[in-house]
Amino acid sequence: MLFRDISMNNPPYLLTMRNAFEDLQRRTLSHIPCDFARLIYLASMRDYNTAIYHHEGLAARYGQEQTREALQTSHREIFCKLVFLPLEGLVTELETYVRASHEAQDDFIHAWQELEPYRVAVPMEADATMVQLFLSNVRLALEVLRFRREQEQSQAGQPVSSLPLSPAR
Amino acid sequence: MMQGFAFVAVSVLLIVLLLLGTRSKKDKGLASATMRNRERLGSEGVLQPAELAHRIFSPKDREFIGLTHSPRLQRLYQDDRRNVALHWVRRTSREVSAIMLRHRLNSRYSQNVNVAAEAKLFGLYLELRFLCGVLVFLIQLFGPHALVDLASYTSELYEQVGRAMRDATAASNVASSEDAVP
Repeated sequence: MLFRDISMNNPPYLLTMRNAFEDLQRRTLSHIPCDFARLIYLASMRDYNTAIYHHEGLAARYGQEQTREALQTSHREIFCKLVFLPLEGLVTELETYVRASHEAQDDFIHAWQELEPYRVAVPMEADATMVQLFLSNVRLALEVLRFRREQEQSQAGQPVSSLPLSPAR
Repeated sequence: MMQGFAFVAVSVLLIVLLLLGTRSKKDKGLASATMRNRERLGSEGVLQPAELAHRIFSPKDREFIGLTHSPRLQRLYQDDRRNVALHWVRRTSREVSAIMLRHRLNSRYSQNVNVAAEAKLFGLYLELRFLCGVLVFLIQLFGPHALVDLASYTSELYEQVGRAMRDATAASNVASSEDAVP
């Protein structure tokens, strides 16, 4: 279920929520460089303690509840999109996200393999198998990026970065 | 010892092929029926169980990892994907058992049980449980990628069983309430 039952029989509520959803897509998400970055952005809109989404600008225009539903729907939608993306596509997404972060790639990969912060990007009530697949694919995508970095460094004659193996291994 | 193992393996494969062979044309339309959850706002990212099975068991990712020629990456990939595939199969098996249990409890209180429909349903349930067992065995033996068709079929069968049980429960409830009217 993408939406709660409250919205099912309430056309004005649904219309406002649709407007909030479209506004979010148009004004915010379309300016973010890739789906992976959108996923992280939407997860960051969610309170760590209560898992309730907040967005002051949207809430002022469309109401708290409608804004929450719009954010939650977008979050789930992008999550599903990334789960169904082939691994090659996910590696590209992650690469774009790393580049957009302007951090050193080695540091980024190291931190993400150690801390696995992508775990908090999973939406609430997501399908358990989809979560497993997503986490596994991100782990693999990070390994692929790391492997490519090592290849680049060895080809350039630089000492290969001494990243430790990911803890999951 | 080896001959016994080969006999068991060949028997299992023959049963699986037989089950796939008995698949009707109607079953093939089930994948499109999973589109029922598509909702408002033009959402595209709705869960599709059959698609999820296809995504997990598809060999496309393995081909991509193979291009790296890194034994470490290939090993990591095989282990991870095998675990995800096993998770999917065990969950499917668990869920269908739970659905069956609920259905049995409902049927117990119904006075209008359609025996033929119940027997067919039980047959589907047994087929599904058997397929899940075979999948677990074959995934552990060969990995998930050779099994994409079997997994897709299992996923469709799972949906079929879920729908049939809902319909049977609803039908017996309607019949019971009609009987209760004086």
